[in-house]
Parts: sequence; structure tokens; C-alpha cells
Amino acid sequence: MTSAWRHRLFVYGITIPFAVVLAFPFFWMGVTSLKPEAQVYDPTKVWRFHATLANYGYLFHHTEYVRWLRNSCFVGLLVVLVTLAVALPAGYALARLSGRVGRTLGVAIFLTYLVPPTLLFLPLSRVIAQYFHLSDRLWALVLVYPSFTIPFAIWLLMGFFKTIPQELEDAALVDGCSRLGALVRIVFPISIPGILTVVIFSFSLVLNEFVYAITFISSSANRTLTVGVPTDLIRGDLFNWPGIMAAILIPSIPLALVYNAFLNRFIAGFTGGAFR
Amino acid sequence: MSEDQLSRRELLKRAGAGAAAVGAAGAAAPFSFAGPMKFKNRQLKGDLSIIQWVHFVPAYDDWLDKTWIPQWSAANDVQVKIEHINNTLLDTRAAAEVAAQSGHDLFMNLHPMASYEDQVINHAPIIKEIEGKVGKYGALAKASTYNPKTKKYFAVSDNYVPDPVVWRHDLWNGVGEAPYTWDHVRKAAPKLKAVGHPIGIGQSQELDSNMALLAFMMCFGAFVQNDTNRPVLNTKKTIQAVNFMVDIYKNGEDSAIFGWNPASNNNYLYSGTASMILNAISATRTPEAQNLPFTNDLWIWPIPSGPGGRHGLEHVMGCYNIWKFAANKENASQFLVDLCVNYKQATIASQLYNFPSFPGAFPFKQIRKAAAADTHKPKGKYTILTTIAEKYTHNIGYPGTMNAAMDEVFSKFLVPQMFAQVSQGKLSAADSVRSTASQVNEIYAKWKERGKI
Repeated sequence: MTSAWRHRLFVYGITIPFAVVLAFPFFWMGVTSLKPEAQVYDPTKVWRFHATLANYGYLFHHTEYVRWLRNSCFVGLLVVLVTLAVALPAGYALARLSGRVGRTLGVAIFLTYLVPPTLLFLPLSRVIAQYFHLSDRLWALVLVYPSFTIPFAIWLLMGFFKTIPQELEDAALVDGCSRLGALVRIVFPISIPGILTVVIFSFSLVLNEFVYAITFISSSANRTLTVGVPTDLIRGDLFNWPGIMAAILIPSIPLALVYNAFLNRFIAGFTGGAFR
Repeated sequence: MSEDQLSRRELLKRAGAGAAAVGAAGAAAPFSFAGPMKFKNRQLKGDLSIIQWVHFVPAYDDWLDKTWIPQWSAANDVQVKIEHINNTLLDTRAAAEVAAQSGHDLFMNLHPMASYEDQVINHAPIIKEIEGKVGKYGALAKASTYNPKTKKYFAVSDNYVPDPVVWRHDLWNGVGEAPYTWDHVRKAAPKLKAVGHPIGIGQSQELDSNMALLAFMMCFGAFVQNDTNRPVLNTKKTIQAVNFMVDIYKNGEDSAIFGWNPASNNNYLYSGTASMILNAISATRTPEAQNLPFTNDLWIWPIPSGPGGRHGLEHVMGCYNIWKFAANKENASQFLVDLCVNYKQATIASQLYNFPSFPGAFPFKQIRKAAAADTHKPKGKYTILTTIAEKYTHNIGYPGTMNAAMDEVFSKFLVPQMFAQVSQGKLSAADSVRSTASQVNEIYAKWKERGKI
């Protein structure tokens, strides 16, 4: 066996088991989502069953699934915009602030990301209800979610901006660019991997968030996906497993595609600050 | 630019003024943005918002949302908005509403929220009004929602749910046993596990484990508090109960019980695995609805008896609370009165899951008749529910009353934790009971200082 084959065998030997393990939940979701509800608990019907799309039909015709999906996307997109608007200049400023002040501020901002929502939801309830009067409105989530997306985004972008040589900006300034112009024309375009990482990661965080969503939103029409699915597809002890699997699978597919499409840039975004 | 043309600034100014005018007009006229009135030619008297669990028997929610509320809403000229959330999220939601001092007019939970006594109105007038129409508030409900120390009703219970043992007759028959006493359960457990059908009593931080283990303790004469609401957990009987359950776990259960949620024991049964669980009749209604192969072999009995007797708890206690900060207290009160008075409909709609907390609304004799008419096999199996409800169903905190300290012990899942620590080999039974009792004592001391017990 040549060394190239040995290498290939080694690589695939590691990768294939990993891929199988990681892909299995998606496969299981797909299989279960096609099962009739009555066959889910039947041990004789694990692999051989009458496939049906009825569960997808139920989701779209008998629940407010489309609305939950729309609500999640609405909140996600707005939060991404807010996050970028704040984190881009903040990350840049902290990256260029030399010395202890910059480092300390960066660490302090990141630490706020580590405070769990389970501790914050009670005081924030008061803020949302009494001061902003946003109970049961999606704007409550738009207001609160940046509290955990911004620190993470700043920290990530800060590392990324540090990898961009100061000389590039200096050259732009010499050529007549303003500081803002240099930022917009030079720094941001070469930071696309970092920005994309922030976009995808923030959106995923928002899509997965549960505690704030269950606390601040109560009406079915305003629910996001994470709250709508367990609330309306679990009737007491009766889990509508095929429906739940279908409901999770649908948003997973586009997200997985986006992740894959930008995988290289995503990795570059995460590791941008690692080598310098 | 010619004089006739608008500048960009002017256009924005005019558009803004126009939008403001339309907005002001919309705000002034309540119907221009709100759409047509719900009840034609009438101005609604008010609103009512309700939050409660997603019922374990889906038919109940269908009745409540699609029949009862629309009828009540039309009759009382009130716009009712009801929201259902998963039962495990009710405590979180209650904490958030209290923190925000804003929320629903009626908050329903599955256990009496005695620790929120200062946050709710005194519900005594509501209970008095219902009593005037259907007779006395049940003793179980009173012990669950009345604080004798402060003389305050901190909730109104509309229903409670008897908690039988649900067991697979075919499997138990196969090992020549039946769960009449806890000794029988201990004897049968290893045999049942050996044939792939373990017992399913949880030891997790969740409602069903809490109820099952508290009831189990009571069958051994072990209680968290006595009849004067003083903590009495640290006794030999508690240690005996813990050791007994650990024995059942080690020989007849699966380690999955440590991570269960309130639906886990049911799902364990539906999957055909469990041979016995302690649960309300949703555990038999779902297999009936799904026509699972072993449906006819699901029997329900009262909780097995132990050395201390046969003492069960309600499985869940439906308790409605009206916050002091609720915006529509009057409508909330009226809704509760009407619901409790007409509870026969609710009990039927819940397929005999909910029993009325005001027994006069649907007397036991009538419930027994309705249960006897149930055609599911073995025929007449649901008639035992009235016996369980009348003789073996106690309140949380029995032999005392439910109170803020007991609520905290219950909400912190100290009892399941006490059992689990021993089952997992982390502590001996004596140490686990001692350490739990010390936490319990601290909780009681705190609430005593606050004047609530």
C-alpha cells in the first residue's frame, strides 16, 4: 500500500465514523418525520413503515408553524443587524486600542456573554414589562437578544481586526481616505469572513434561544420556533414526535446549507485572531 | 428644481405629518385599526387573559378553548385570551410575571403556589360565592389553598387529579404478582426487569417524581411536616422508605429515571417497556386513543400500601391565582366562579381526569356512574378512581396543610434529590435524609420568620 493510500485510509478512517455519528440525528429526524404517528412507538416499525408527508401537512395546516418560522427569521435578522451595527465599530475600536485598557475592556465585554439567561430573565422581565411595555411582543426579543450576541460578536471581530495590518489603513489615510472611509473601504471588505461568522453565529444563537422567548412571549401568534414547537406539538405527555422532527428538520436544512457554503470563511472567521 | 416640485425634505415632512394624522385618527377611533367588533353592536365590557398548562388530555383543552370560553365570553361580554404552555414552564413563567409585576389575569399552576401568597389577592370571596352555589369547598382543596396562619386563600382550586398506580396486568400476571402492597412491588421488580419490563417510578427533579416519592414516603409513615406544619423529615421511617425505594431501583428499575421529565414515565409505558408507573389516567387515555397493543392490559389500582398504610397524593392540583397586579380581577373572579360551578362539563371533557375541587359540582356518585359507563377494557376499570379520590388522595404537605415552606421544599425537588443521592450511591440513606432534613428545617425557619407558617 502506497503512503498516499495509507494517508487516505487514515483520514477517511477518522472522518467517516465522525460523519456518521454527526449525521445520524438528521437521518433519524428525517425518518421519524415520515412515520405515521401511531407507528412511532411500534418497535416492529423502526425501519419498515408506510412513509407519509401527513406530518408536514399537519405542521403547515394545523399549527402556526409558518408564523413561528417567520417570527424567528424576523427577530434573527433584526438582531443580526443590531449586532453588526454595534459590534463592528466596537470590535475595531477595541482592536486598535493598544495596551492594557483595550485588553481589559475586551475581556470585560466578553465576560458579559458568560452570564446565563437563566439568571438574567427575572430582572429583564421587569425591564421589558414595566419600562419598555414590550410584553408579548417580538420587539422584546429584538431588544434583549443583542445582550448576548453583541459581546460574542465584539470579541470575535476584535480578534479578527487585529490580524489586519495597521499599514493598510495608514496607506488609505495617506491616499486621502478619512478614518471612516478607510474602515468602510479597506478594513470591512477584507473582514468578510469575520462578519459572515458573526452573522451566521448570531442568527443561530437567536434561533436556538429559549428562556427569554418563553418568558417574554406568551401568545401563540408571537411565538418563535423554539417555543412554538414544544408548546404546540407536545400535548401534555403526548409527544407528536413526527411533527416535532419535521418542525426541526425544516429550518435545519437551510442553516446546514449556509454553514456549508461558507464553511471556509466561517473557519477563517473563527481562527482569524488565533494566528498573529 | 422648479417651484412646483417638492424637495426631498418637504416630501418627508408631509409624509410624516400624514402618517401622524392617520395614526392619531386610528388611536381615537377604536375600530379603525382593530377591525370588526367581536360581538356585533356591542362594546365589550372588558378583557381577561389566562395562562395555563397544555392539558395531558387534549380533549380538555379542545373543550375549554373551543366550547367553554367562547360561550362564557359571549355571555359575559368579555374578550378572553387563553394561552397554554408546557407544564414544566409554569413556575418559570410565574417567577417572571411576579418579577415584572405584570402578566395574566388568571395564572393556573399544577400545584398550589403558596410561596407567592403576598403576590395574590385573598380568594376567599370567590370561594364563598362558589360554595353558595354548589356547596362546600372540598377538604383536599382547602388544605391545599388555605393558609390557617394568615387566614388567606392564596388560590382557588378548580380540580385535582387522583393518582393511581397504572400497571400492566399481562406482565405482572406473568410473574405471578400484583402491586397490592409495596412489598409485592419489591418482590416483583427484579422478575419484571429480568423480562425487560422495569418499574417506572422517577427520581428526578420533576413533578411526577416529587408526587410519587412523597406519596411513597407517606405509605411508610414518613412525612415532610406534621399536622401542625412543623418539619419532621428526619425519622427512621424516612430512612426505611429511602432504603426500600433504593432496593426497588437497584433490582427493578433503569438509570433513566434520574433524568426524567413529567412525560417520561408515560412514554416509558407507551413504548411497551414499563410494567408499572404512578400516574394519573392520562397514562391510560393516550394508549386508548392510539390503540396501543397492550391498552386492555393497563389496569389502575390505588397506590400500594406500606407499613404506614395506603396514602396517595393528588397527581396534580389545578390552582388558579389572581395576582394583585392583575388588570382584570373582576372578570377573572367571575370566570372562576362560573367554571367551578359548572365543573361537571369539565370533568366529562377531561375524560374523568379532572375531579372537581367543589365536590357538589359533580358528586362522586355521579362520577362513578360516568366511569362505569366507560367502555374501555377491562370494563369498569375507571370506577376505582372515585374510591382513590375519596379515600387515598391527600394534599401536598399532608398531614398538615400546604404552605410556603412546603411549596419551597416541593419546588426545589428536595425529596426526589434525597432518594436519588442514595440510589446513585453518593450518600447513605441516613446521611441523605439528615442533609435534606437540615435544608428543610432552614426553609421552614425562614418562612416562620416571615409569618407564613
